[in-house]
Amino acid sequence: MKGLLALTVVGGSVAHATLTPLISVAGVTPDLPLIMVILLALRRGPEFGCAAGFVTGLLQDAAGGGLIGVQALTKGLIGFGIGVAGGRLRVSQPLVQVPGLVVLTLAEGIARFALLQIFRFPAPFGELMAYVVLPQALFNGFIGAAVVLSLAWAQTFRGRFEGEQS
Amino acid sequence: MKIRKVALLASLVAVCLLILTLQTRGYGAPARDAFAIVTTPISAGLARASRATFGLWATYLDWKNVRAENYRLREEVQQLRVQSLRVTETDEENRRLRRLLALQERLPLTTLSGEIIAREWGGWIRSLTVNRGRSDNVPRLSAVISPNGLVGRIVDVRPGASIVQVLTDPASTVGAHVVRTRTPGIVEGDPRGTIRFKFMARDGASIRVGDALVTAGQGGVFPRGIPIGIVRSIDDRGAALFHYAEVTPAVDFARVDEVLLVTDSSQRDVTAFFPSGG
Repeated sequence: MKGLLALTVVGGSVAHATLTPLISVAGVTPDLPLIMVILLALRRGPEFGCAAGFVTGLLQDAAGGGLIGVQALTKGLIGFGIGVAGGRLRVSQPLVQVPGLVVLTLAEGIARFALLQIFRFPAPFGELMAYVVLPQALFNGFIGAAVVLSLAWAQTFRGRFEGEQS
Repeated sequence: MKIRKVALLASLVAVCLLILTLQTRGYGAPARDAFAIVTTPISAGLARASRATFGLWATYLDWKNVRAENYRLREEVQQLRVQSLRVTETDEENRRLRRLLALQERLPLTTLSGEIIAREWGGWIRSLTVNRGRSDNVPRLSAVISPNGLVGRIVDVRPGASIVQVLTDPASTVGAHVVRTRTPGIVEGDPRGTIRFKFMARDGASIRVGDALVTAGQGGVFPRGIPIGIVRSIDDRGAALFHYAEVTPAVDFARVDEVLLVTDSSQRDVTAFFPSGG
């Protein structure tokens, strides 16, 4: 659990710092740590999701130079929520996970906006949604689809390999 | 279990709200500083890790590109080398043919150009095969020359080719004289692949190393004045009737590729028509 958590935090942060600038489209970048937190929380549960979301969010806050704690809180909440939902709802299908990723990114954006409003950091909601949150949500959905399909393919391959071994 | 989860969530919310509140109440700077002490080394480590990962990837890509480029350049170099050799060879051939043509135009003799197509280079026989034969009306015993001097004589005419007995052939003898002293003698081939000048002792006292030898033009085979070679050393045999001089041939028989076959029987002196002037 701790190893995977560390791997998620480090891997997500490294991927965010290195890959994001390379794969940006028209200035829109995906939130790779959020994708990782969501996909792993679905499989590992709310505690893992909460801890991973908190730490990666904290690192993103620190790196971004804004209010520290905003992304830590939103990502921690998202991680916890999706971890709980993963145990109760049927969310194992890619057709559920990918749109879910889009919706959760939007939710995270709205939550972040709300926190900034509470702590008196004014931000134009409409523009933020139109130019930042929504494009990022779609991009996250696209990246999430690729990751989910890759994982499904890897699991199938692993199953076949283990079947041949036995 | 459920309580633990709720406690975790509550702690998370509480910690985050506390941090945010501290920042908005003016304690942001110390809080950030304290936070930076923890996160900066982590961020720096992550940046290093990402740079190393990408550096490794970039190095791999560079290596791959360099390898492909190296392969392509090697092939290009190979092609250019072959091309360069072809150009050099053509250039050299062109130069030789120009010299031969110039000689052919200069000489007051009827000549036929020919190309060497085979060489017999054993100790017993030293001959060349030239691509001119019976159909070209090549007379037997015609002199064969190159821009540097005498090569030999035609000893056998066949359909499409003729055999040239080279001066170094052990059976070859050519009447010659020293240009400077007019000392007459005979140039003979020997089995070692060299030629020597045989002359009467009483006539050759003044022959020196470096003297030039040309054909004497007696006997009706060779025109007079074709360069044969240069005296390399003199073998003084005391009271013997004949002395010998080792001669360096004017023509490099192993490398000659194009020749002229003298097809008329004119006995004119051609010394002045060779570059060395005999």
